[in-house]
Amino acid sequence: MNKYLDLSINEIHELLVKKEITPLDLVKEALERIEENKDLNAFITINDKVIEEAKNLGEVDKDNLFFGIPIAVKDNIVTKGLRTTCASDILDNFIPIYDATIVKKIKNNKMLIIGKANMDEFAMGSTSETSYFGTPLNPIDKTRTSGGSSGGSASAVSANLVPLALGSDTGGSIRQPASYTGIVGMKPTYGRISRYGLVAFASSLDQIGPMTRTVYENAALLNILVGEDEFDLTSAKKEPEDFTRLIGEKITGMKIALPKFFISEIVDKEIRNKIKEIVSLLKENGAIVDIIDMSYLDTAVNLYQIIAMAEASSNLARFDGVRYGFRNNNAKTIDEMYETTRGLGFGDEVKRRIMVGSYILSGANAKTYYDKALMVRDDIKKEFDRVFKKYDLIIGPTTTRVAPLLGTSKDDPHKAFMDDVLVIPVNMAGLPGLSVPAGTNDKGLPIGLHIIGKAFDEATIYKLASYIEEAVTNE
Amino acid sequence: MSNYIPTIGIEVHVEVKSKSKLFSNSANSYGMATNSAVNVIDLGYPGVLPTLNKEIIRQGIRTAHILNCKITKKMHFDRKNYFYPDNPKNYQITQNRTPIGTDGYVEIEVDGIKKKIGIEELHIEEDTCKSAHRGNVSLLDFNRAGVPLIEIVTKPCISNSKEAMAYLTKLKELLFYANISDCKMEEGSMRCDTNVSISKSEVYGTRTEIKNISSIHNVGLAIEKEILRQEKVLDEGGKIEEETRRFDDKLGETILMRVKETGNDYRYFIEPDIPYLELTDQFIEESIKALPLLPDELREKYNKAGLNSLQIEKIIANRSLNDYFLGLLNYKTNYAIAVNLLLSDISSYLNKHNKLITDTKLTYEKLANIISSLESGEISNKNIKELIPSLMENDKTLENLKEEFNIKNITDDTYIKDIINKVINNNQNSVDDYKNGHDRALKFLMGQVMKETKGSVNPKIASDMLIRELNK
Repeated sequence: MNKYLDLSINEIHELLVKKEITPLDLVKEALERIEENKDLNAFITINDKVIEEAKNLGEVDKDNLFFGIPIAVKDNIVTKGLRTTCASDILDNFIPIYDATIVKKIKNNKMLIIGKANMDEFAMGSTSETSYFGTPLNPIDKTRTSGGSSGGSASAVSANLVPLALGSDTGGSIRQPASYTGIVGMKPTYGRISRYGLVAFASSLDQIGPMTRTVYENAALLNILVGEDEFDLTSAKKEPEDFTRLIGEKITGMKIALPKFFISEIVDKEIRNKIKEIVSLLKENGAIVDIIDMSYLDTAVNLYQIIAMAEASSNLARFDGVRYGFRNNNAKTIDEMYETTRGLGFGDEVKRRIMVGSYILSGANAKTYYDKALMVRDDIKKEFDRVFKKYDLIIGPTTTRVAPLLGTSKDDPHKAFMDDVLVIPVNMAGLPGLSVPAGTNDKGLPIGLHIIGKAFDEATIYKLASYIEEAVTNE
Repeated sequence: MSNYIPTIGIEVHVEVKSKSKLFSNSANSYGMATNSAVNVIDLGYPGVLPTLNKEIIRQGIRTAHILNCKITKKMHFDRKNYFYPDNPKNYQITQNRTPIGTDGYVEIEVDGIKKKIGIEELHIEEDTCKSAHRGNVSLLDFNRAGVPLIEIVTKPCISNSKEAMAYLTKLKELLFYANISDCKMEEGSMRCDTNVSISKSEVYGTRTEIKNISSIHNVGLAIEKEILRQEKVLDEGGKIEEETRRFDDKLGETILMRVKETGNDYRYFIEPDIPYLELTDQFIEESIKALPLLPDELREKYNKAGLNSLQIEKIIANRSLNDYFLGLLNYKTNYAIAVNLLLSDISSYLNKHNKLITDTKLTYEKLANIISSLESGEISNKNIKELIPSLMENDKTLENLKEEFNIKNITDDTYIKDIINKVINNNQNSVDDYKNGHDRALKFLMGQVMKETKGSVNPKIASDMLIRELNK
């Protein structure tokens, strides 16, 4: 079997330009790898037209690094003509009639969508175990979770089934799986990437982002994903920039903050130790690292539970059996049709969150919970602003522990949220955050370093991330 | 005997005129083939997001302005969550906390007394699908889904059906003239819900809501009937329930639809897909500047132009003729004659041929020329009737047409004089009567002159000349 997919994107691109390989070779190899690793359950749907698409891709474009590269797309991003399920029974047979803006960009850049990656149902979960289509496994240790909700994307990239994947991150759903599976995952600034065509979970928090094997490939992929979109009023208008531009630069003089909360008792000791090592490394190389106090970080999970569930309860109301997706045709009245369609179509976690969200917005609760949560959320933003007046970046571990064993998180929903305690504040503040592999524990399980940047300053995050990447690889 | 005081509040929804819908670029037009003005956004497809049609914000600003409301400069949209098949997302995007306009009024006049009807607020929201029920299936037309609406809510300050009707008439005229809405109640582009309560004290009674009344006239009837019904219930020792009713115009009664459940819970929250809007003073000014003259401004202008109040009301009641007439005011002519012509001969021609005046070739110059010829007596009203089709349909000037239709130069003295002399010669008895002081004889002779000229002479000129000839 060929091993082209083990090469870097730059190397693959060179082979394509030299005509030593074709996109078809890459696609076939990816499909073979997916077949061989079927037990990983990384994909819900394989694009059965991808061979044809590879054949018809046309002349190689030497200026397009991503020409002919296979990519996995998380299954909550709609793809025209290609089943999009959100890992839910309620959309089991749903074939979208339009492409998400981000999918159009992927196609315009001549990348090949190999399939739709597994995930938690409607992105609700931290281990991808709420998927209707079975749980994706962690390629590093198949008894462990690949994280969630973008667990399939993480699993696919970590096992090198495809070099690139798209995930979405509402409360850590790109960064936490990236950390568990030892890959690079970026949640860009809210508004960086159009959400048009991303099936909404919590609209004010959702953000699409790239999941890749290396920092450089992550930054390069982000280059083509960003941009204002007339179909997403929350997308930001920004001058085009090259996110790879600071990669390789020295970190001397960089001002980095490490909040105490990120190395508190809630974090496993082996991870805290790893962070200490990283801090020493950074200091040795001329960076300034200060351990600081930051307020409100500990409130983020509670805020998340209020804001995300409230918004979700409304966003998921459209799945009612009237226009698309599953409908229970045996119902006698419209109310019965709604109740049974949604009752049968949604999984338990989704139903639980819809109910909690509805309760939170109900009557006087809206003021007691939702409005108050929005106020505290503003305070979190201000707190980040305050820190970023003095520092270029904030770092910490991405997760409190390494990837847990499968089946251990399901019984305690609240504990599952605590997996994301370190990453959620970033969604609340709308900031960019990235997880980069920082080494492993003694069992060889990956530990991720979380790097948080100023709004729209992804380039500086990549600068530090690539530095860490190189240091860890050369260890 | 009843001495209850009624309190009435009115909620009006109007469909806003615009090229496209509120949150998508589908066409906003009534009467298109079912489900043809629809895209994924209107269907509430997974993954879609709303866009925002700025023109509707402008229309909202204009509405707030003409209803004397305060304009909310910083605002957002809210989601109103409820399940219903005609509601594609199962939430409606509306403005709950920051309506675009607040605290305004509409001035009405009932039986010569002026009153300001307070406007609580007005806000922008999206319309739902139209549903049709066929046997045991329901069909949905998404053309209407996402059509922009403005909802206008009065304070509970209307005292009776006359005031309610005057308010609605005035509101309709305002919104129509401001180009906000067609305001066609029969097509649903203006819809009206009425809240009615009665009480003997200052504390309001329990109110009932009468939904979707089909005409302004029926709003008046529905209010009267509902007041009577409530009085009867209370006088018989009963209690008014908070409920939704409808008006059955065949029965002439309000009918119970449903008793209100304990407080509808719409789980409102701020729409996260649409950022807060901050209206600049410039945007507000530009929007207001684009407003055409409104009825009360027209009334004042027309009064100055010499129209009487009957003429004014009649021309304002006809929008397309009014807009045409407004342009005529730039020309110096006799506006009263112009209005009379527009409302009589021209109107009946247009109605007969189902045309708008803008579809004809009746230029302002041509019309001004006709008016001056009429004034000078060069042509008669009777000539106008004859000439109208040609004046409207081709480019020929009045002079050309006069020749073509062989219209005599009726101010030609010799032509009239010949006829007058003929009449004098043929009616010697009447001439004698006139000379003996019988005024009625003059009327008879004048009648004969008009008959001979087939009414084509200016009566005043002819009459003066007849008297002159008789007195010779």
